[in-house]
Formats: sequence, C-alpha cells, structure tokens
Amino acid sequence: MTQLDWLQHLLAQGFHRIGQLEILPTGRAEEPYWLCHETDRDAVLAAQGEPEGFQLTSDPFQARDISTYSADHEYRFTKGQTNLRGGWLMKLKNPTDLLAAIDGFYPACFSLWVAQQRGTLDVQNLRDKLNRQTGMYRFARSISDEGAQQLVQEVCGPAHQCAKKILWKLDENTPLADSEASRFNGVSSGLPEPLAIPLLCREACNHFVAECRKASKREFEAKAQAQA
Amino acid sequence: MPIEPKPNTALFIAGHGSTENPDSSTPYFEHADEIRRRGLFAEVHCIFWKEEPSFREAWYLTDCEEIYVVPDFISEGYFTQDVIPRELELTGPTTVVRGKTFHYCSPVGIHPSMTQLLLRRAKEVAPDVDPAQTTLIIVGHGTNLNANSTKAIKDQCEILRQTGYAAVLDTYMEEQPFIADWAELATTPNVVVVPFFIADGLHSYQDIPVLLGIESEVGAAASQREVFRHNPHELHGKKLYYSSAIGTERLIADVILDQIHDFDQQHHSHS
Repeated sequence: MTQLDWLQHLLAQGFHRIGQLEILPTGRAEEPYWLCHETDRDAVLAAQGEPEGFQLTSDPFQARDISTYSADHEYRFTKGQTNLRGGWLMKLKNPTDLLAAIDGFYPACFSLWVAQQRGTLDVQNLRDKLNRQTGMYRFARSISDEGAQQLVQEVCGPAHQCAKKILWKLDENTPLADSEASRFNGVSSGLPEPLAIPLLCREACNHFVAECRKASKREFEAKAQAQA
Repeated sequence: MPIEPKPNTALFIAGHGSTENPDSSTPYFEHADEIRRRGLFAEVHCIFWKEEPSFREAWYLTDCEEIYVVPDFISEGYFTQDVIPRELELTGPTTVVRGKTFHYCSPVGIHPSMTQLLLRRAKEVAPDVDPAQTTLIIVGHGTNLNANSTKAIKDQCEILRQTGYAAVLDTYMEEQPFIADWAELATTPNVVVVPFFIADGLHSYQDIPVLLGIESEVGAAASQREVFRHNPHELHGKKLYYSSAIGTERLIADVILDQIHDFDQQHHSHS
C-alpha cells in the first residue's frame, strides 16, 4: 500500500486526528475533507464550513505559513510543538491534498507512522545521533548519560510542548528513564488508534542536540571548576 | 534549460533552515511551490538540516523509487560535501539507499546561470547607477570548515568582472577580505552589495547590515519588520545599495531544474 492508500484506509476506519489537527469528512464531492485545529472543530461544524473570521484556504501548502508561528507569535521551529494556532480552515479537494496538508503541519510524521506499520522504520539512538555531529555540534557528544536523561525530562514531552512519542534510547543498552516525557504515547488528544495516530520521534531533534551541546558545556565547566 | 517531466520521480530540495529565524527557509518553500506548479515531478519536498522534515527523515517522505536531491545551497562545501551525503547516506552521484535510488545534484550556487541572477539583482537594486562608477560586492559567509565554501563566489566574481562594473569584489563575513571593510575595499562613489545567501535570514538581513554600518545593532527578522530598508545609504562618502539575498530570487527554481538537467547530461540518467 502507498502512503495515500494508508491514509484512505485509516480514514475509512474513522481516523480524524493527528497532533492538533482535526479531519472532518464532508461528504461533499468538491471538498471531501475539511482540516482545522482540533479546538475549532465545533465552530467549523456549527458554521457549516464558513466560520466567521477564519482564514479559509484550499491550498494544502498553506500549512507551512499557518504553522510557522504560534498564537503568541512564537516561532515553532519544531513542528511537534503543542502550540499550533487555530482560526483557519482548509477545504481540501482530495486525499492527496489532505496528505500534503498533514505533511505541511507535521512534516514526515505520517510517513514515519506508515514506515512503522510497514516495519521499515529505523530508529536512531541518541549516542549514534550525537556521535555523527560535526562542526559546532560535535561537542554535544560529551554529555553524560545522566545529563542526557535529565534533558529528556526538561526538553521533551507535552509538558515542554512536544507531542511526539520518543522511540529512541540513549544507546542500545540504555533505555530512557521513566518519566512523563518518555512515557508519552504521541497522541496529545488522548484518542485511541485508529481515531488518532501518534506523532513519532525516531531520533532526537536538532533542538535536543543543541540542548545537549549546552548541557555538555555546563558539565565541562562544572568539572573544571571542581578541579580548580 | 527545460527538463522532461519525471512523473514517477520525487524532488528533494535540501536546505539549511533555522531554529531561530523562519525566514531562512521561506525561499526553499517558494522554490518548491514554483516547481510544483510546473508539474514536472510526482512530488516535491523540502528537507532540512535545522528544521523538519530533517535530512534523516527524507527517505520516508515518498513512495517514489527515484529521487533527485538538489542542495539549495549557495556553495559547494561543508553542507553539500559532508553533511547532506552523510545524513542521506549517499556515497556518490547516484546511490541506492534501501531500495530507493537517489541522484545527488550539485548545489544551485555553483551553476553558471547564477551569474545572470546576480547581475539582475544588482541592476534591480541600483537601476540608475553607472556601472563604470560602481563597485559590485558579492558577500558570502566564509568558513574554515571547508576550503571550497568560497569557491562559488570567487568563480562568479571572475565572470562578473567582464560585465562593465568598475570593480567586482568577493567579500566574507568570517574570512578575509571582510565585508566590514567594504568602504576601504571599494574606491568608487557607488557600491552595490549582493548577499550570496539563499535566504534573508540571520546573516543577510541581520548581521551584514550591521557589518556594513546600515544598522547599529542586529534587528528583527525580515518578516517581523514593519519598515524595510531604503537604498541608497549614504555612508563614508559613498552611495551604498544593499540587496536582499540572491536565493530569494524566484528564478532559482530554474537553477534547481538546470542542475537536474546537467546531472542527467553528465550521468545519462533519465527517468
């Protein structure tokens, strides 16, 4: 099955939520899917697709513009952040456009989920990720296991605005310590599969690597200070 | 150069991106939109070093079995020679990675058609100046991570020296000759500065204006500014014209296609 087949298969089973996106099948031939923020669902339905003051578009590639800033004008550089703004409605003309829109809001997330179903998802553990960093980020690899475990709890998970399910470990023999972040299942809505599918984190993001670099520097300085 | 449609093939436009400034990735999406409109590929995706989808996630993005990767980078260097091949697991011009065939093209910045874009941008920003009284400065980043990073600029400047400007200078943020020394480097009354960057991101819109003396401190991101700068700037007894980054030019989409065309010509690959 292609990714598009997977999407249609899921929709037929009632799939309607990924991240903070709500998919509304309309039964209308010209715009079979509406896509909106999960909190706008009732407003969109009550207004029969013409909610007042909403940004309306049929272009799935508008997803990038809509998702760039939060309602608080914060730059959302990781798209798994739980601060997607509402106030918009996409009226999409076919499943292909729906897939493109989902991919615009949550880049590669649907593809990763499909790969997981297919058994082709390759998860990269943190040490492998850090060890291949070069340039200014090569220092990130010096972070201690304790420091990395701590960072997961300080940076990841819904408490820190990331709605992805962490699949990686520190290394093959070192799972993440139990925490809200490491336990999170990637479905911020709490809906069961297949009504919702999780956002997956197959390797630490660049934000996490950047934080590892900072933490590694702090560890180095603390050690130097202790020796002085 | 037009290319034949490749309806079963995906195009990945590889960019840097930023965790601080969303303007950095805007050009890549614009280039992708432009190529999508032409209907040449089954899918067109942007992939990034610092944003999502990451280079490492790119393999999963498409079901197409053949993929062209064009680095939307301005020079051959650290990212195009080290980072992108490493992250995409590419070992040569064409690599089969877990059943998918990747064709790795040269970066947009080194294509000969960039010369015309630079000239066009220089004329747009300073339409009334006499080239004989004008120094054209192309400014790049410069880095000690890869000696090739400045080659594209030097090559372009070599060609641009035949186009009637009194002088054409290559300058850099972090290597000599430094852009901060522009007033000493340029001896003409007019100076046109074109940033050899893909995006109006941190460097071209925030750092270089400070180095030029247009701004006293680093300002907000381009998309967050209400007032755009006005040319010319009267500084050090000269008229300074500063353009937006060359990568924001819409016609970069054509350069991306040119690189695919050249790849096919060189490697006899047709899909």
